[in-house]
Amino acid sequence: MDSKKKYWKGLEEVQKTPEFIEKNKNEFAEPLPIEELLEGTGINAPTPRRDFLKAMGFGIGAVSLAACNVAPVVKSVPYLIKPEEVTPGIPNYYTSSYKGGSILVKTREGRPIKVEGNPNCLVNQGGLNAQAQASVLDLYDISKLKGPLYKGVEYSWEDLDQQAKDDLAKVQASGKTIAIISSTVNSPSTKSVIADFASKYPATKHVMVDPISYSGIIKANEASFGKAVLPQYHFEKANVIVSFAADFLGSWISPVQFTKQYVSTRNMASLKEKKMSRHIHFEAGMSLTGSKADSRIATKLSEEGPALVALYNELTGSSIGNNPTIESKAVASAIKLVAKELLNAKGAALVVSGSNDIATQTIVNAINSYLGSYGTTIDLDNPSHQFAGSDADFDALLADMKSGKVGAVLFLNSNPAYNHPKAKEFVDALKKVTFTASFADRVDETATLCQIVAPNSNYLESWGDENAIDGYYTIVQPTINPIYNTRQAEVSLLTWSDQPIKDYYAYVRANWEKTVLTVAGKKWDDVLQAGFIALPTKAASSYNFAGNVNDAASSVLSLSKSLNKDIQLHIYQSVAVGSGDQGNNPYLQETPDPVSKVTWDNYVAINPKYANTLGISQFDVVTVKNNNYAIDLPVLYQPGQAHGTISVALGYGRTNAGKVGDMVGQNAYPFLTFANGAYQYVNTITLAKTGGYEELAQTQTHHSLEGRNIVRETTFAEYKKDPAHGSGHHGKKHENVDLWGKYDQPGQNWVMAIDLNACTGCGACIVACSTENNVPVVGKDEVRRRREMHWIRIDRYYTFNEEGKEITEEEELKHIDGKFENVSVIHQPMMCQHCDHAPCETVCPVLATVHSNEGLNHMAYNRCVGTRYCANNCPYKVRRFNWFNYWNDSRFDNYLNNEFTQLVLNPDVTTRFRGVMEKCSMCIQRIQAGKLQAKLEKRVMKDGDVKVACQQTCPANAIIFGDANDPNSEVSKALTNERTFYVLEELNVLPGVGYMTKVTNTGLQEA
Amino acid sequence: MSSHHESILREPLITGKNITYAKITDDVLMPVENKPNKAWWIGFIVAAMGACLWLFAVSYTFWNGIGAWGLNKTVGWAWDITGFVWWVGIGHAGTLISAVLLLFRQNWRNSINRSAEAMTIFAVICAATYVVSHMGRPWLAYWPLPLPNQFGSLWVNFNSPLVWDVFAISTYFSVSLVFWYVGLLPDIAAIRDRATGLRRRIYSILSFGWNGSVKTWQRFETVSLILAGVATPLVLSVHTIVSMDFATSLEPGWHTTIFPPYFVAGAIFSGFAMVQTLLLVTRKVLGLENYITMFHIESMNKIIVLTGSIVGVAYLSEFFIAWYSGVEYEQYTFLHRFTGPYWWAGSMMYGCNVLMPQLFWFKKIRTNIAISWCLSIVVNIGMWFERFVIIVLSLNRDYLPSSWAMFYPTWVDISIFVGSIGLFFTLFLLFIRVLPSVAMAEVRLLVKTSSEQSKKKLLDEGKVKNEEAEYYVESLEKFDSVQQADYVKI
Repeated sequence: MDSKKKYWKGLEEVQKTPEFIEKNKNEFAEPLPIEELLEGTGINAPTPRRDFLKAMGFGIGAVSLAACNVAPVVKSVPYLIKPEEVTPGIPNYYTSSYKGGSILVKTREGRPIKVEGNPNCLVNQGGLNAQAQASVLDLYDISKLKGPLYKGVEYSWEDLDQQAKDDLAKVQASGKTIAIISSTVNSPSTKSVIADFASKYPATKHVMVDPISYSGIIKANEASFGKAVLPQYHFEKANVIVSFAADFLGSWISPVQFTKQYVSTRNMASLKEKKMSRHIHFEAGMSLTGSKADSRIATKLSEEGPALVALYNELTGSSIGNNPTIESKAVASAIKLVAKELLNAKGAALVVSGSNDIATQTIVNAINSYLGSYGTTIDLDNPSHQFAGSDADFDALLADMKSGKVGAVLFLNSNPAYNHPKAKEFVDALKKVTFTASFADRVDETATLCQIVAPNSNYLESWGDENAIDGYYTIVQPTINPIYNTRQAEVSLLTWSDQPIKDYYAYVRANWEKTVLTVAGKKWDDVLQAGFIALPTKAASSYNFAGNVNDAASSVLSLSKSLNKDIQLHIYQSVAVGSGDQGNNPYLQETPDPVSKVTWDNYVAINPKYANTLGISQFDVVTVKNNNYAIDLPVLYQPGQAHGTISVALGYGRTNAGKVGDMVGQNAYPFLTFANGAYQYVNTITLAKTGGYEELAQTQTHHSLEGRNIVRETTFAEYKKDPAHGSGHHGKKHENVDLWGKYDQPGQNWVMAIDLNACTGCGACIVACSTENNVPVVGKDEVRRRREMHWIRIDRYYTFNEEGKEITEEEELKHIDGKFENVSVIHQPMMCQHCDHAPCETVCPVLATVHSNEGLNHMAYNRCVGTRYCANNCPYKVRRFNWFNYWNDSRFDNYLNNEFTQLVLNPDVTTRFRGVMEKCSMCIQRIQAGKLQAKLEKRVMKDGDVKVACQQTCPANAIIFGDANDPNSEVSKALTNERTFYVLEELNVLPGVGYMTKVTNTGLQEA
Repeated sequence: MSSHHESILREPLITGKNITYAKITDDVLMPVENKPNKAWWIGFIVAAMGACLWLFAVSYTFWNGIGAWGLNKTVGWAWDITGFVWWVGIGHAGTLISAVLLLFRQNWRNSINRSAEAMTIFAVICAATYVVSHMGRPWLAYWPLPLPNQFGSLWVNFNSPLVWDVFAISTYFSVSLVFWYVGLLPDIAAIRDRATGLRRRIYSILSFGWNGSVKTWQRFETVSLILAGVATPLVLSVHTIVSMDFATSLEPGWHTTIFPPYFVAGAIFSGFAMVQTLLLVTRKVLGLENYITMFHIESMNKIIVLTGSIVGVAYLSEFFIAWYSGVEYEQYTFLHRFTGPYWWAGSMMYGCNVLMPQLFWFKKIRTNIAISWCLSIVVNIGMWFERFVIIVLSLNRDYLPSSWAMFYPTWVDISIFVGSIGLFFTLFLLFIRVLPSVAMAEVRLLVKTSSEQSKKKLLDEGKVKNEEAEYYVESLEKFDSVQQADYVKI
């Protein structure tokens, strides 16, 4: 297609003007101003509008792109050489031991973040109480010492050791005593270290003293049976349990162990076999155990003794103590009934007393011996070593100190300046001691008085062992290097006594290989893996009482008589804070008391009706006073408290615990009295109003049920006739109509079952949940504003048994003239119910809370805008709102919000920003981990793959979690139980958490 | 309209002598065209201080978190949503007056609609601030809007009454604003025509080029009518939807089908009370007695007693249903209003809303300005307590007694509420300074037909029957703006 057509560019081309020809030679007809531009004139020339716009467009674009990078620079240093056993994102579990119970420590990337009970542990059987759960936080306590101190000045370990050695040598040379004051040491290796130390310094004397003393029992057993031991109790073998103020489910000796035992005769399995123990409780204050009792008889402290003597007389037909009279008719008639029941249950009966009085325990021994309890419900042959402190030993030492016979005192896990009743005397006597050293991890009340503070490492940083019960040895192994410049106390003792082995790991190992491992025929690695070694138990034999019951009775009665004046003071250990050792632990301080629901304080618990007669009202600040000591505390109305008595908890009022625990509550230890060879946890005091008013921080402020059927109960007699009795499910079920479509739930359908008869309300689940899910601690003020963040709470309701009726309504109570002593209590764990028709889900404007096809109610924190509509619409009020930025607000620095303490956070769970809602997720991270594990192992998930945190720790096994789609799962079986009901099921929100009725064994009362 | 006379039996809507179109303009524009007087300044300073308090308290909340308020795990809404519903309710009277009464050709609305509509807009602004400030993360306040986004296929929850609320309130606000502004156009033009310099320029822009031609007036009438038609359903829908925030929930005390009509009646009730509160002061301070007459005051009082009684009946049926339903939780909630720790709030609600307005059955009280003003405030106190009772008293003791808790307001709660009143009055005081507080164009329509002077002229001309004249003169007795002496001789 050759075209001859020619298109002209213009007339110039046609005419072929010379200019055109000239210009057309070049590629561009007109020269480009490149040179001109580069020469400089172009740049300086005024910028054309278009260029300006182009440049500006580019500039703004570039700048805004550059400005997009708002992420702060976070430096993360990768492992240079990856430790073989650490895989980021995969937790490692190590066995260890806490207070004699074997535990599993979960570590992530080298930091311990959670403690769980070792399911094979003989003592706790996988359960842990609140204190053990919270103990991981003690590791990350900012109030701890960062290195050794000498006379308040930071020192190096070398200089310190030299100083200590010189001083100890001087004391040894002077012939004065070197005292090691410790709380109970049952660790074979520590004992061996102390023995080694004593061989170097023969003047050494080891005195064990516990803030909560059980020396009364030990002494009584010595007198009664010639065995100075703390026996092992077997509540699981008892058909009738009678407790005189022994809070064995909450704080007495080994509460987790006892809870496991106790519940085993009262749980679902036991009830299915129509078996249930009967528990009768006599006490002044309302304890956790009293709240669980089938029959609880409010008993004045002064009547506990006579009641016990009367019980002995009623049982044996003798008349020791001249048949003491019991003022209270209720107690007197109860004793008669109890005696009958105990006799019927001979050989399967158990009587325990919480008293530390030797005489009282002697009578208890006599009763138990008469009932044939030894060898069945009480085991003296495999005794407990959990408490071995001796009140008398300490008093002897104190006398020596006063007389200047003591040259050196070393404090190992011991803080007598705070928790000894004679602290004042002791502090004065300490001034006469030339060398004082403390192994406390912080400058506590005693360490402030010591020349040397050689900070002990946390148990999670230490090697060690424990021997809680005879023949049961547990290993303590470190899960992290010492964070601060601390050293194990044992190493200090070894160093100061110039022992050849100073590496405590080698020491412990050698000690085990020498003793336990040889006997058991096991290897060191076996212990590290299993966490414990249990030697075969001895057969428990029966013992015959060989004490003097008459002397004991007169001693008991005279003590009781001395209490019968003024107001009787009952001093007890709070379930969460305990003896106060963990006073700086914010998780524990914020765990509500199981009965009173008070956090962050101790208080005067008083019966409301009795308070009225004294002219005292709730939250009045009163002075509790006797001749020697006085404290000011707010008043709490405690229904069930015996008239004429008040209860005050120990463990508060610390002055040198740290930023969290200082000045929380008041110290009640000085009210203890030394009488008849042991410390008595009773006293008499007077009360005087100060005129002050202080509202306690309670997590529950309304205490009656208002007649609502949200908790359901029955009696054992009724249950035997009809297992569904009281559950509200009889005959044909009401047919419900739904507006919502039904969705398939292939795979799993996660649900939960909670046995109200098992739950004791101890609160371990609350702490377990908080550590697992990074639930913030908000402090006293915020709790007072009712803003605690706990994802799981335990509702506690009182029923008043007055005028022959069960009264649950506030209005009705106002018109009742009773004593408010006869009160029944029920505990109900409450968390997100994961309703299938969740009311929270429909109202969220932004779909931040939605349902999964596995039956879970999810919370997408990132999507939440914080209207709080969901929380308002939740009938169970389980949603928690982040009122403040708990993780970045200086007001919360003391609790968890500081760089160091935040290391305890579970990296699998995000912390929540202010303004978003949160709530129980059924430990979704654990569900995911379980799924992943099953996937890796190429199998389907099976029941028990996933245990949620509250379930895992529950000492009562009251919580069962699992898949409702699996008919054989434990939870499915539990939910088909006749006792099952759902809270507020009439709303048809289809909650995923079923509850089982509480069954009370009213025993002979019915007859 | 001006070609025939209105019946002498009807009370005049404008009083005074020598009312001319120009005089109306002069009277109404007096505050706009002159320097403000002392009263205005005092009012404005107090109101502005309130607005500053509001700004401070809201900023404090934004900085620290909602924890600055007194809310807790049980009571998730309290003064915030109480304030929100209260303000939205107050806004209702404006729409009712401007839209519904326009459709019903109630000419007496002409003198009060402008202020009432302005009040609506400012009240909705106050309400909207609560919507944003009560959020935990207010910087994400746009998330409840169904905007296209890059969060995947994330949409809003159309099941949630809060989303309906977003639609309802935003629609309500935009329609009210447009309606109000369209109505303002001829009046702004009037200001423009009388102004000079910069003011003229500004009002010129604001008047959208109004030229007063017949065509313009015709279009104006059409648009007004259409907007009135659009706004009328809103009178019912907005508070219906607000009530659904509660009615569709599960809370005892909220979960009630009667809420939509009950809330609408309550809204109109409180709205009229607020109009009354504002106008009784405005007419005095701005000297508008001739345009906002005793007839208006009495009419509004009648509406207050009517809606107050409707609300009272609604309360009674709530109690009846609570008893009749047999639901113990609901029964408790209602009993709790009298017997619980918040008995005083319940008493305020029932006392102020049901009992006090019944006084308006008496003509003496209805036509007494001081008592009317006090009662109008009492009604709004009562209506605030109604919302407080519904919200807090339902939440604080619902299903599980373990979670029952009291609500105690903090200084921030109180400051935001007091501050929002300050904000409202700041806006209102600015409004009467820059825009005509009475719809001049619409009032002018009444001069020839419904004014006192036109009726007087009829009387003077002897064109009315004697008994009718007597009746008319008798009806004038209550007017404080009528020279009673003029009628003695008749």
